[in-house]
Amino acid sequence: MGDTWMMIIAFVLAAILMFGFPLMSMSDRSDDISQLTVTTATTEFVDNVRTTGKLTMDDYAALEQSIAATGNTYDIEMELQVLDENPGKKTTQADSTKIGENVYYSMYTSQILDTIAPSGGTKKVLTLKEGDWFSTTVRNTNTTLAQTLSNFFYTVTGNDTYVIAAQHGGYVTANGSGE
Amino acid sequence: MYGKQIDTLNLQISYDTKLDNATYDAIKAFQINTVNSGTSDLSDIVNSKIRDIEAAANSFFTSIGSSFNMVGYNSEILKEYVPALVFTMYDGFYIYSPFENTLDDETAQNLANNANAEYTDGQEVTGLKPYIYYSCRYKTASIDVVITYSLDNYITVQGTVNGGSTTINDAGYLINGVQDNGSTVTYRGITIGPEGQLTEYLDNQIYSYIKINGVKYYYDPSYSPQEDAWFRILNGQRVYRQGNIQLGSNDQAYRYYKEAAEFRQRLQSYGLLNLKPSDAVDINGNQLQGITDAEGNVVYDFVNSGTYNIFDYESGGVSIEEPTSNFNSHRMAVIRYVIESNLSVALSNYNTVDGLSYNFRMPKLAEEDWDKISSNVCLISFLQGLSIGGKMYNGYSVVNNNKNEEVVTEDSIYITTSDGYYHKATSQELVSATNMITGVFNIDFERKSIYETDAAGTQTIAYYYPKRELGCYNCYVSQTSNTVTNNIYEYMDSHPNVARIYYTALARERYSMYKVFRNPQEHLNSFIN
Repeated sequence: MGDTWMMIIAFVLAAILMFGFPLMSMSDRSDDISQLTVTTATTEFVDNVRTTGKLTMDDYAALEQSIAATGNTYDIEMELQVLDENPGKKTTQADSTKIGENVYYSMYTSQILDTIAPSGGTKKVLTLKEGDWFSTTVRNTNTTLAQTLSNFFYTVTGNDTYVIAAQHGGYVTANGSGE
Repeated sequence: MYGKQIDTLNLQISYDTKLDNATYDAIKAFQINTVNSGTSDLSDIVNSKIRDIEAAANSFFTSIGSSFNMVGYNSEILKEYVPALVFTMYDGFYIYSPFENTLDDETAQNLANNANAEYTDGQEVTGLKPYIYYSCRYKTASIDVVITYSLDNYITVQGTVNGGSTTINDAGYLINGVQDNGSTVTYRGITIGPEGQLTEYLDNQIYSYIKINGVKYYYDPSYSPQEDAWFRILNGQRVYRQGNIQLGSNDQAYRYYKEAAEFRQRLQSYGLLNLKPSDAVDINGNQLQGITDAEGNVVYDFVNSGTYNIFDYESGGVSIEEPTSNFNSHRMAVIRYVIESNLSVALSNYNTVDGLSYNFRMPKLAEEDWDKISSNVCLISFLQGLSIGGKMYNGYSVVNNNKNEEVVTEDSIYITTSDGYYHKATSQELVSATNMITGVFNIDFERKSIYETDAAGTQTIAYYYPKRELGCYNCYVSQTSNTVTNNIYEYMDSHPNVARIYYTALARERYSMYKVFRNPQEHLNSFIN
């Protein structure tokens, strides 16, 4: 009888070792590749906006499309910090030896998307100016296979909410113009 | 295996970003220096430009050094991997790169005996190479000229026409449809004449001023004797000049259009209006056709690229100064050809300078980068030969310089209104506005500094804004209320009230820029009573 139990345990262990771990390892690699795609796409998107000073729905759709190709769903968060030099100028006028301070105010994803959403068949462009700051964060919202497996095997450590994430940001270096 | 490739790609992305950031830092340094250089003296303007460029190159290496320190490269080591920095200017470009310093025997001997000598023969030094103009030679049966293009519609023509019997050396702006009415001109249906005296602040006091050939002259009403009351700023100090400049209205916009119309007539008399792209030749007189890249693809062919006239003042309803004109597409092709041919030689020559085994080669620049390069002052930086795991890094970065005194682009004119704000020319708020005052060049809104001496004789640096208007929140700060257009001339055709102020300012600023072609003293004298 004891032997039978040993056999069953050995089978289960063998199954886990032979199928479970390779599957986990493969799915981890697959997430690595998704991670790479997402990092590349996010960096390219942000750098493109930064160096052209323009953001259009086409750019955003291209980002969405290239990350969706990894088979996961994602949450894209954008933040645009618009530089306002005016307060600095006012301070300087009060005391001509003082260097002005700059103020930023932020636009977030939904406001940005409202601005660039095409209306009445015409494309809209959000133009940025030199000195603004643009950043984007992308995280997966579905549970990937690797997440399911690791949550199953390592229940002790708690569930991950996301495993694929990329963030990139920087100063806008060009004044946007044109279509 | 996977991990390695991913590391390589991640490194490549992070190097790209580092290169972009360092390039932007260099541009920022260049902007701050040019706005504040204050040495815009007639004789010193070129030296101060070179000094500003060298400072920008230094800040590039400092910046890239600090961001690469984490991976173990410092700025001295990185210099080996930067085969060139290209500073594109108004009518040509500088290449900043390492080269072998060759001295003549006598100098080498003298320096060898001098213990404090800084240079030795054959030493590798990094510096600016001679300026290269955006020029192209054209040759037909009766014409042999070199035309130098610029970032706008200004050209310089040198050479011989009429079969070699007439030598010409001329320059001017190409503008279509200018009609001279004596003291005003009509351009695109708009009458442009003299405008009021311009004023701006110097520290806390407002002065009338006029900018002539890149130098601003201010009028000091309290100075005695009154005939020497005009001064300029040199190294932060006031320098009074002798002799009066016309006070009153500013007619530079009128002169700009009038001289452009005269230039058109001269071009016609030289017989240059029928010049075609296929007339372009290299220094040996061979036609520029079938020029291939390393893969054998034809990249330049001026012979089969179209049979239009380069100086078609109007064709198909498009005027020569508009971005879609034949002239502009040819201009951009020439700029691209000149940069690419010189740069690829400089990059491959770099192989002989450095001791690295990497084979330096010019990367292929994207179309949108060429658009940037041919429309504004830029810095193009290259970083090559760093190992990133599976392969060698080969990247470049192009960053525009939006605030410079080199070129007045169509986007760089802002319009002030009497409520104390300035707006972009395509702002929707200006469409029906009745309180527009004048057009201003964008760098006049930048902070400047000047030395002030108080009653006790102590000198302090005072920072000030020459124009005190604030950026409009809708069209400048957040840029949500602008009409987006690729062709500002078309936009202005349908907004004549904005157009008059816009064209006047564009013309005035372009006319008052420093031009190498002018005789500075004669030009200044034309403004003196």
